[in-house]
Amino acid sequence: MKKSFAVFWKRNLAFAKLAIVSNLEYRLNYFVDVIVQPVLTTGIEILLWFAVFKGANVQTINGFGREYYLSYALWAAFFARIATSWMYEFRMIEEISSGTINSLIVRPMSFYEYYLSQLLGYKFITTIISLIIPLIAAHYFNLPTIYSRVPLAVVLCFYYLILVHTISFLVCCVAFHLTKISSFTVAKNLLFWILMGELFPLDLTPEPYKSILLKLPFAGGVFLPVGYITNRIGLNEMITGFISVTISLVVLNALASVLWKKSLATYAGTGA
Amino acid sequence: MFLTLKKYLSLYKAMFKASFISDLEYRANFFTRIMTDIFWYIAQIVTFEVLYTHTQKIGDWNLKQMRVFLGLLFIIDALYMIIIHENLENMSEKVRKGDLDLLLAKPVNSQFMVTLQKANTAIIGNLILGLSWLIYSLNGLGDFNYLRLFWLMLLIPCSLVVIYSMRFIFSASAVIFTRSENLQFLWWQVYRIGMRPDSMYFPWFKWIILTIIPVGVIVSIPARALLNPPDYLILLWPLCLVPILLYATHRFWNFALKFYSSASS
Repeated sequence: MKKSFAVFWKRNLAFAKLAIVSNLEYRLNYFVDVIVQPVLTTGIEILLWFAVFKGANVQTINGFGREYYLSYALWAAFFARIATSWMYEFRMIEEISSGTINSLIVRPMSFYEYYLSQLLGYKFITTIISLIIPLIAAHYFNLPTIYSRVPLAVVLCFYYLILVHTISFLVCCVAFHLTKISSFTVAKNLLFWILMGELFPLDLTPEPYKSILLKLPFAGGVFLPVGYITNRIGLNEMITGFISVTISLVVLNALASVLWKKSLATYAGTGA
Repeated sequence: MFLTLKKYLSLYKAMFKASFISDLEYRANFFTRIMTDIFWYIAQIVTFEVLYTHTQKIGDWNLKQMRVFLGLLFIIDALYMIIIHENLENMSEKVRKGDLDLLLAKPVNSQFMVTLQKANTAIIGNLILGLSWLIYSLNGLGDFNYLRLFWLMLLIPCSLVVIYSMRFIFSASAVIFTRSENLQFLWWQVYRIGMRPDSMYFPWFKWIILTIIPVGVIVSIPARALLNPPDYLILLWPLCLVPILLYATHRFWNFALKFYSSASS
């Protein structure tokens, strides 16, 4: 048992390292991904909040001052980069539609873990590099941030990332039956864009939408971790977030397992 | 000149027809593309509807005016997606796989081919949705002068040229850097600046997005033409910008091609 876990760990660590090395290969590409893009997003969102407060002509919105929204905009852009999977989902779909998946399914590993380890490896290095920016910016501009809460927020975001990967895996199961489904990824990620709270703090929505959105697992991607760091929410909401993601993981993994087996059974091995 | 124009028009007609047939082949993808944009529209609408529950104005405009702005954004974006987007989106892949060779070898202008070879006909459904939203939001204004819509015949084509030119420069950089997917994502961030009214930005930043990085021209100026009393200096600015940007794309394409070293060979 102990030996098999060691093999599993070593194997997945190798996948994660592979992702890190292959992404750092094209440094300009990587730099744009982890630094430039979130910095630009932050800039755009901060300008929006300046305009909103100027138009509203008030000191607080929903009980929080302008600095809280600026801090939210700053952290949300970086957490959203971590909590979203574009590249690996596209690659997984491509493996199936082109038939290159054949070389993976004959190996002593699962397709799920192969890409999950790569995704986590890639996001790990992204987190280390990109979170330096909001940490420095929040400190420099004295934005409301509880630094001791950052580690737990990152843990929830990574936990949510496993759910994101499971959903990607489910999309892949569909790829066995429908050849061109890259639009699924775009549609799904756009939906998550709203549900995660990247566009605006979810607690600004009126009831009953607010309660529903906060209970969905997607809030675990951006709103809950960022809300926790910027003191919009407390530990109880974080625990609810962990529970919500766990339940979703159990349900979706069970569904994915059944769908994967069914899809593989119908797969002819020449590409979907 | 006329014959050349006729040749390119008939070529585009043939490519559009081929794209439509090709799009219908993958029906699930066809409908998901429509759904994708619906989610995007919802994201934009929800953001502003939620924000306006906490404020009366963002920039110069109230909620009803912002709805008109969004309607224009949806229409311009849909037209861009139908005519141009897919071609420029895939440029990086064409470079890596060497497919660009095939386009360069054709006896027509290579920039024309890389720009217009594939139309995304599924988005026509979104264009109808965008038009419906614009009509709904204009009705909500109450005292709108519908004659102002004529401005759009002039300004929407200019907006398309502005999006095209900027996007093209981002995409053509793939010829220089070979792998530049994230530069393409970077374009999306730049484009997002133009998806918000220019009046909400600081004056110096507004000046930049109307001149140096003219994403502010794309929707804000057509929206001003509909919502504000006409300021001819601002409304005619896109007309001056169009030839400058088209010339810039032409020069940049020729420059980028110098770095191209056929990946397929």
